[in-house]
Amino acid sequence: MTTVTLQNLQKSFGDVVAVNSIDLEIEDGEFLVVVGPSGCGKSTTLRLLAGLEPTTDGRIEMGNRDVTGVEPKNRNVAMVFQNYALYPHMTGRRNITFGMKSSGDFSDAEIESRVEDAAETLDIEDLLDRKPEAMSGGERQRVALGRAIVRDPDVFLMDEPLSNLDAKLRIQMRAELARLHSALETTTVYVTHDQTEAMTLGERVVVMNDGQIMQVDEPQVLYDFPANRFVAEFIGDPAMNMIPVDIENGHAVHDAFTLPLPSGDDSPSTERNGAGDTRISDARHAILGIRPEDFRLSDVQTDDGLPTIDAEVNVREPLGDSLLLHCSIGATACNIQAEPRTEVHAGDTVSVTYDPARLHLFEDKTGEAFYHSGLHLPSDEQVVSQVSK
Amino acid sequence: MSTREIFDSRIESGLLLLPTLLVSIVFLYYPTALAVRTSFFDSSFGQVDEFVGMENYVTLLADSGYHSSLLLSILFAAVVVAGVISVSLYLTFLIHEVDTGQGLYLISVIWPYALPPAVGALVFLFIAHPTLGVLTGPVEALGIDVDWFNNGPQAFVVVALAAIWKQIGYNVIFMIAAMNNIPDTLTETAELDGVSGIRRLLSVYVPIMTPTLFFLVIINTIYAFFGTFAFVDLLTSGGPSNATNILIFDLYQEGFSFFNFGVASTKSVVLFLVVGVLMLVQFRVTEEYSYYGG
Repeated sequence: MTTVTLQNLQKSFGDVVAVNSIDLEIEDGEFLVVVGPSGCGKSTTLRLLAGLEPTTDGRIEMGNRDVTGVEPKNRNVAMVFQNYALYPHMTGRRNITFGMKSSGDFSDAEIESRVEDAAETLDIEDLLDRKPEAMSGGERQRVALGRAIVRDPDVFLMDEPLSNLDAKLRIQMRAELARLHSALETTTVYVTHDQTEAMTLGERVVVMNDGQIMQVDEPQVLYDFPANRFVAEFIGDPAMNMIPVDIENGHAVHDAFTLPLPSGDDSPSTERNGAGDTRISDARHAILGIRPEDFRLSDVQTDDGLPTIDAEVNVREPLGDSLLLHCSIGATACNIQAEPRTEVHAGDTVSVTYDPARLHLFEDKTGEAFYHSGLHLPSDEQVVSQVSK
Repeated sequence: MSTREIFDSRIESGLLLLPTLLVSIVFLYYPTALAVRTSFFDSSFGQVDEFVGMENYVTLLADSGYHSSLLLSILFAAVVVAGVISVSLYLTFLIHEVDTGQGLYLISVIWPYALPPAVGALVFLFIAHPTLGVLTGPVEALGIDVDWFNNGPQAFVVVALAAIWKQIGYNVIFMIAAMNNIPDTLTETAELDGVSGIRRLLSVYVPIMTPTLFFLVIINTIYAFFGTFAFVDLLTSGGPSNATNILIFDLYQEGFSFFNFGVASTKSVVLFLVVGVLMLVQFRVTEEYSYYGG
């Protein structure tokens, strides 16, 4: 089947480097999501895979075949675009069959039966005789998917296919894409700027920024063990708080608090992120990362002997399922997620504690993560943090 | 008054409209009315116009020379319209596909359109002249004896080619705009599907461009009937043996060589009606087959 390998892949547009030396292995049948902010090079990477842009340097292999300079039509990939890219003057059926008929690789009977199969899989039988203008956004994207699957390609390339849909439909289509993938098991590369899509759909997620890969991992690993500040802040909503601290003797020292950093001497898995615990014993500057939901208002929790931190509430945002507090801890702005319906108001000073298993430290300058207090990765046998009981 | 009033005084608005009205009336509506009137008269130099009723029309109805001129004009228009549209479409497609130097190609395609018709005709004369023409040698090398000063069908082809050559620029301007409006993702989808370039042009681009194409068919039809006078006049003068004597040239000769203003007016009224009917048919077809997006 089809594994896809990118080696030292580069793409420049004039002086602008869109994709900067990417190495990536996409496994056969994998659903890989590439996520990143606008202009990070994720769509360009996808277009390089499709052959719609020539590579500046590097190599693309599909199923052990070098396809770097191969024409798009000879790569046997199908692409789904954000704007659906349906031919506006053709019916759903003709949209699906046009490519197959034009390439002349398929017999009419085969095309017919494949269209029927695809229409059934996607539940679009009643759309086949309609033109795109008579379809809703979701229906159009379904037809576009039909056009992609009917050719039975080696690789699906999806460029933000859900971004033009409204929120409710997006969630529905997301589930449908996941179902479709588990049914077809075709290698899929899915580009999105939406981290929720990335987390929910991806078997693995590639986080890109400035044309480079920041981290490739399973969604939960990305979330729990971000390799650098960029991933930490990009994945997770609301974003992780970044608090400048000094490391002194295994403690993180801030103007407003001093908190102990659980030592991880006995854990082998720290190697995964290159974190050794000598790094928290030497004095240095660092950035402490704590997710909003890893803070707790200490007066609503049982006291577990952890230091408390005083935070002044600036803004109160009830989100329904939780309450987001925009606070100041000393001079640092910080978001804290609290239980819904908590009686806290702007101007109050609250006392908060934190989950000691969920602390992250990043290099001051490079932003590389060098310490995660929850030492065991989900891939290990059990998820236990060192301190929690 | 329910309409929005921009000007406080009617006199002011009337004064501002006056130049346009004056030009339209003096140079358009009055001559049109006069031509229709003259078509019912026997009119020439040195004589008082004499009302003859439908006689001029009856004359034309019986004039076999006029019949062949009418048929020739329709054939000429068909060739020119089809030629202009297809050549322009293909050139537009090539320009659309090319990655570098688009502007240069565009300019070189458009420049014949920028020439005044008479200059264009003279330039084309030096391109296609039977003995001096720059293209004559290469064409004769293909085994064709270039002799359109004497050979009627050749003369027809040469005048048609000149008319096509002159009008391509205008068409390309509109077509490239329409083609560039087609989303790139459609092109990319077609490329991924292995759809050939020509197939992509004919099955994807052309249907989406139909509104522009129908507009151009109408403009080109008007051009073929009315705008090609200079080519006939300067290249062939309607000859040899009336092989290029299309209606617009025929009526010019009737009026300004033979000074039969009455018959010439009748011929222009007929030409006007012929083109008018064609327009009507084309508009109907446009409604039917045009794709206006959704």
